[in-house]
Amino acid sequence: MKKDAPRTGLRTTTILVAMVVSVVAIILCCCIVLFLNRYRSAVVQNARTSSAQAVSQVSTTVGNYLKDMTQAMELVKQSISESADSRDKLLFAFLTFRPDVVAVTSYSETGQLLDCWSLGREPRENILQNLSFDLDMARASDSAYMTAPHVESLFEGYYPWVVTMTAPLEPGGQAAWVSLDLSFSSISSYINNVSIGQRGYCFLMDKTGNIVYHPQQQLLYAGLKSEQMAALAGMQDGTYANDTVIYCAASVADSDWRVVGVSYVDELVNRNVTEMIHLSMALAVVVLAAAVLTSWLLSRLLGRPLRGLTAAMESFETDADHFTYRPVGGTREVQELSDSFGHMVLRIQRLMSTVREEEVNLRKTELKALQAQINPHFLYNTLDSIAWMCEQGRNAEAVRMVHALARLFRISISKGHELIPIAKEIQHAESYLQIQKYRYKNQFTYTFDVDPACLNYYCNKITLQPIIENAINHGLDLLVDEGEIDVRVRQDGDDIVFYVQDNGVGMTPEQLRTIMQRDPTDRTGIGIKNVDDRLKIYFGKGYGLHITSEPDVGTCVEIRMPKLEEGDYEAK
Amino acid sequence: MRPSRRAGLLCVALAWALLSGCGTGVSTAEQYKVTLVAKSTQTEFWLSVFAGAEAAATEYNLDLTIIGPETEEDYETQNQMVSQAAQAGADAIVFSAIDYKNNASAIDEAAQKGSKIVAIDSSVDSEMVSTYIGTDNYAAGQMAAQAALDRVDGPLTVGIINYDISSANGQERERGAVDVLKASGRAQVVAVVNTLAEAEHARADTETMLRRYPQINVLLAFNEPTSVGAAEAVEELGLSQQVFLVGFDSNVATVDGLQDGAVDALVVQNPYAMGYLGVESAYQLISGHGGTLERVVDTSTQVVDRDNLFTMDSQKALFAFEQHWE
Repeated sequence: MKKDAPRTGLRTTTILVAMVVSVVAIILCCCIVLFLNRYRSAVVQNARTSSAQAVSQVSTTVGNYLKDMTQAMELVKQSISESADSRDKLLFAFLTFRPDVVAVTSYSETGQLLDCWSLGREPRENILQNLSFDLDMARASDSAYMTAPHVESLFEGYYPWVVTMTAPLEPGGQAAWVSLDLSFSSISSYINNVSIGQRGYCFLMDKTGNIVYHPQQQLLYAGLKSEQMAALAGMQDGTYANDTVIYCAASVADSDWRVVGVSYVDELVNRNVTEMIHLSMALAVVVLAAAVLTSWLLSRLLGRPLRGLTAAMESFETDADHFTYRPVGGTREVQELSDSFGHMVLRIQRLMSTVREEEVNLRKTELKALQAQINPHFLYNTLDSIAWMCEQGRNAEAVRMVHALARLFRISISKGHELIPIAKEIQHAESYLQIQKYRYKNQFTYTFDVDPACLNYYCNKITLQPIIENAINHGLDLLVDEGEIDVRVRQDGDDIVFYVQDNGVGMTPEQLRTIMQRDPTDRTGIGIKNVDDRLKIYFGKGYGLHITSEPDVGTCVEIRMPKLEEGDYEAK
Repeated sequence: MRPSRRAGLLCVALAWALLSGCGTGVSTAEQYKVTLVAKSTQTEFWLSVFAGAEAAATEYNLDLTIIGPETEEDYETQNQMVSQAAQAGADAIVFSAIDYKNNASAIDEAAQKGSKIVAIDSSVDSEMVSTYIGTDNYAAGQMAAQAALDRVDGPLTVGIINYDISSANGQERERGAVDVLKASGRAQVVAVVNTLAEAEHARADTETMLRRYPQINVLLAFNEPTSVGAAEAVEELGLSQQVFLVGFDSNVATVDGLQDGAVDALVVQNPYAMGYLGVESAYQLISGHGGTLERVVDTSTQVVDRDNLFTMDSQKALFAFEQHWE
């Protein structure tokens, strides 16, 4: 059986898994990209909104603070216009009521500090620099104005940050201006606590781009942090996002202050997006794994029985005789396929045995026809010999010859049986040898050495005779000395072995080969090859002839067949 | 049925992976623990450091603990605090050493337990310090001396009031100041006293010094409490006009003194930045971005005198927004 060429195609499992996985992967990729895009824009929008909300809240609070300051200023102005006594009383009541007002001061036309009202504090005698009042600015503005946050510099040991509002008073009074210092700490701590996301913050700036208040101003003035004030100053109110930062600006109502919110895209957007990417990746992995698993299972469901079927077919191919088919389980299609194959196997096997039987029968018929043929030369010669014996009056010898001839034919025919007891076969060979010995005028001797245990086993008829005939014709005919033929029968395990040995001229290997291959064409009778064929047909390849020969020494033919009891072969 | 069992196992593994994946996705990152061990918890300087530290802790979502000993000489308590913090599993310790040498072993141990070390204000003699954030103390000392040289004519007879001799930054400042004074050729340091970093002691020691060396016309005090004490002593002895006092850092008393004349110049550090950057660096170290950190970060220092006391920059440097006035 020739070997199959190596397979180049891919397995169904591989193809199926690859196909399903790649389709799922492509779909997943598209979905994830689409989803993440949408998600990111939503998150950015969300961040902008929350930033804007925080900033507008701060702006409202600061606006309220300033409005509150304006209202306080109205009260102060009213109080100051009263007489000195009730003025002090009113102002101290106001200060008690408003602890966030650090000081109220009044100034003369020339900017001289006239009065200072502050709860429990007196201004120092030598004020180094009064940050709450600036004469030039007061003169320049004709209505109330506000300063940026500054340190209160009027008192000893007390330096809170304040915002000052200065308002002109009605002319006619002693004081020309009044200033109100309002503590800034409520606003600063409020702004400090505003956070947009984790790290985002708010700060206050004025219209010209100066920072009014920044939660990290100590870092700013130390140069360890910076804000892009020039860009921010030119910015309208609204939200601006770049790759890293979201700026959000809102003006504070009724002032030139603006609130700027700074938040980081990184933490507001990227972190969420990264988290979502991780999540969707995990999901994608799971879905892919599930796809791999299902397609793998599916293809196993299909592929495994198919492979089983293939294996079965292969083993059927290599040894059709001894193949027994075990049906393969699986899906219905596979089962159907398997069943069909099973039927086919049975069919083929049945066909094969029929063919073989027919062949054997044919051979047997052929053989029988051959066996039925009696070598006519042998018969003529023998009859001639007998006739000659009678003429010479050697009646006893003639009788023995006739008996031998009769036995020979009887056994040859054996009522048409192919198998005969070994004893009969020996008789057959002996009769033949007897006749030949007369004919060859005692030119050779022969011996039989038969293991008596073998006698009752059966063998093919006319097995020994062709071998012996060959030995006489080819081995002994040309021999000058007296020839010898020894026939031995031995048991060898489960086999019986016949040995036919002569001391003739022997054969060269070439002659041996021609003997084993040649069909008897020119001659009638059964050739050596025929014996061998017959044994092989009946008993199989392990049986038959084995010839060893040496020129000028002799030839030994070994005939091997299994031990057969009566009826054995027919039962087989 | 071997394959089906294998498939089952695979399913279980997948489910587990999914669950754990979700788990890590949903749970928020754990807060890092940072401990700030200060030299003191009382002075305005340190309160400003804490304000900066807290701002950074809020910004970076850190669990910040601030501790410090009662006095600025108590390095043993500091060592205890450091080892307790390390024991409690602090991811980083922001540390200001009272004693350059004697704090080193505690810091080494803490670093071995896995805490990252950031030094602020005053460093420590340890290889484990990843970064130092603070004033360039030598330069600050030079600035103090230069401030006196610029504003006082004629020969300078200098008295130095310094704090604990084992504190690295005080000694650095003194060295810077002495070097500049020597280089000027018209200054002579007649007295150096190492007092406790506490106003009352500093006042007493300064008074003693001024009585003993009446010729002193320049005083240098190298941190906040010693400056306050020196200012009190100068005022008490009525030497505001005669003695030119250069102090360190911002305190209500020294700012008052600056206006009254008792104090003539202040070298102002940036404690807020130290606190803020200290904690920020700690976060960067913990979160694995420590590679970009500089070994030394110089926070700015500036000189404030009577003339620029109320400029906006000085206001911001001297007066913290966070202060609460009772």
